Amino acid sequence: MSKTNWELTEADKDRYSRQMRFGAIATPGQTRLKNARVLLCGCGALGTVLANTLVRAGVGFIRLVDRDFVETSNLQRQVLFDEEDAAQGVPKSVAGAKKLNQINSLVTVEPVVAHIDRGNILELAKDVDLILDGTDNFEIRYLINDAAIKLGIPWVHGGCIGSHGQFMTILPGDTPCLRCVFEAAPGPGEAGTCDTAGVLGMTINIIASYQATEAIKILTGKLEAVNRDLVYLDCWENTFRKIKIAPLKGKVDCPCCTHNRFEWLDGEQGAQTTSLCGRNAVQIAHAKPIKLDFELLTKNLAHLGNVSSTRFLLRFSAEDCDFTVFPDGRAIIKGTDEPDRAMALYARFIGH
Amino acid sequence: MDLMTIYLDNAATTWPKPESVYQAMDKFARESMANPGRSGHSMAKASEKVLEDARVALNRLFEGASPDRWAFTLNCTDALNMAIKGVLNDGDHVITTDLEHNSVNRPIRSLELSGRITVTKIASDEGGTLDPQEIAKAFTPKTKLVVVTHASNVLGTVQPVEEIARITRESGALILVDAAQTAGLLPISLDKTPIDLLAFPGHKALMGPTGTGALYIGPRVTIRPWREGGTGGDSKTETQPTDYPYFLEGGTPNIMGISGLLAGIKWVTQQGIEKIHQHENSLAKKLSEAIANLPGIRMLGHQDWSKKVATVSFTIEGLEPYEMGNILDSSFAIAIRPGLHCAPHIHGAQSTFPDGAVRASLGPFNTEEDIDALIGALKEVLGE
Repeated sequence: MSKTNWELTEADKDRYSRQMRFGAIATPGQTRLKNARVLLCGCGALGTVLANTLVRAGVGFIRLVDRDFVETSNLQRQVLFDEEDAAQGVPKSVAGAKKLNQINSLVTVEPVVAHIDRGNILELAKDVDLILDGTDNFEIRYLINDAAIKLGIPWVHGGCIGSHGQFMTILPGDTPCLRCVFEAAPGPGEAGTCDTAGVLGMTINIIASYQATEAIKILTGKLEAVNRDLVYLDCWENTFRKIKIAPLKGKVDCPCCTHNRFEWLDGEQGAQTTSLCGRNAVQIAHAKPIKLDFELLTKNLAHLGNVSSTRFLLRFSAEDCDFTVFPDGRAIIKGTDEPDRAMALYARFIGH
Repeated sequence: MDLMTIYLDNAATTWPKPESVYQAMDKFARESMANPGRSGHSMAKASEKVLEDARVALNRLFEGASPDRWAFTLNCTDALNMAIKGVLNDGDHVITTDLEHNSVNRPIRSLELSGRITVTKIASDEGGTLDPQEIAKAFTPKTKLVVVTHASNVLGTVQPVEEIARITRESGALILVDAAQTAGLLPISLDKTPIDLLAFPGHKALMGPTGTGALYIGPRVTIRPWREGGTGGDSKTETQPTDYPYFLEGGTPNIMGISGLLAGIKWVTQQGIEKIHQHENSLAKKLSEAIANLPGIRMLGHQDWSKKVATVSFTIEGLEPYEMGNILDSSFAIAIRPGLHCAPHIHGAQSTFPDGAVRASLGPFNTEEDIDALIGALKEVLGE
């Protein structure tokens, strides 16, 4: 995908000298990194660690996409931001790009303030060599998977919650894709989210570092070094598990990478949002209805202290918004008229 | 749409459609979906004939002056815009009402805000009916147009349009009737009632598909086309040909949709609009009576079913309309329409702004079982 053919300058050679002394990278690898282009989806916890690592490592171009604004509660784990960013409420991708430019002015960081959806992901991904998952929800991960398989671009999935996390590398045509391994996303309310179950900064750093390592392997062309397992680790419980997924390739009847049915890109899966006219509210509904476990969701949201439910609906408040959730997964979020914000809040508190 | 869904949103669009409507569109699409033309090849002529047949059918049903006076539109909004923007001139005065849909409110309000017209808005009474005498009092020497709905899309209340049309005719102004909720359901005679402009969708009580509508332009009306282009006929003139209906129909029409509308009109005529209206209203009356006394329910508009179409709107204490709509959809597979129904002024008048109301609206294919399901669901939810 890279169209450039830049050579390393003296400034490059000086800056990256320690990395270049690592035999698997050396001059050819560093040159490839200089000409490499990466789409980084999300500039939050995983995203800031990934961006920080890759910019320092000399990846020539990073497109950094996030729709959120920096808040104080981000600072515990989102390494590119400081108190001033939070006080000013700067968009994460903009604050991140500014900091990254100070870290390494030899590379290009393109900030994009946007929610990633099926309307923009192909455009965001069309000119990159690699996609990195710095998101916090499954909906966008399946969308990334669709786009990556469709465009033939490798991507590295990563996800964290509490003290555990997982990562997985997808090389289209070579390894199983996300849907080969996880046919369906955990239902909303089933998996917990960072807002309901919390997350440790250490977990983030470990998983993002593994993702970044995979990224460097792919971008330097060392595909033989790529980790082909699904890796799951818990830094509190001291567990590290490698799940062999390579045999799944071609064995599972994958709608995405076997049949080229891109259900998230085509809108057959995923959520739809509707702004409710004049109500400062957004309704979210799933293209395919799901079954929400109110009991589990009530437990997950108990810390908010304001959850009430009947057989037909569940209500709670968070982030100055009132949520009404229905058994088939749909929700009305009052207090915002921005569909993107509503989707982000849904992902944070209900899941997906 | 899940076939198990109990569909009670017929005021938005009727569903399902008669089998003959599906078949007509399928046949047309396969056999003769050419671009219509009056002097073209045989498929073009067949396509043109669908348009002519539909105009003749509409003219018969509504007893208009001539089939040529019916211009096909995208929907009722398109027809209303065509009328309002095509008829009004700078300095004109318009009389309208608080019952209107935004397809009337918005074009009129934007002309008013740009300083081009003045507007008087007549309030309906508590039950949701207009007093023609209030309209009579609003005329000024500059009154060019009266725009009134035939039946409220929120309350279902039928308005005395015959009387209002007569008063308007006496004043010399024009009247535009929005028949979105009534065309195909209530008898409308353009021969007996002096209506100058009649706008309606093809996809509601006339049982056609979405994407169809029409505007009747009476002989007293001078109108400007708001869409100009090819007409399949006279290509020599530099501007839009002035012969009706082509004057108002630039561009390829939705002929496939109109083939469905034609089948819909035939079906409605065969069934008898009176019979359909009675069927729907008997269900609506039953629904209204069964839920009016449930705890926390407030019915909107009068409940005299001899002066309504089959629309039942209500609010529920402690549950917002959107919440009730989602409960009915997610737990009971019942489709109703919550909210403001694009008619904010009447919700304001009924003190249901901005939350709106729950609206159940019936169609010819609804049954007693459908109504019982909604009644049962409401009882179950309110019993919690």
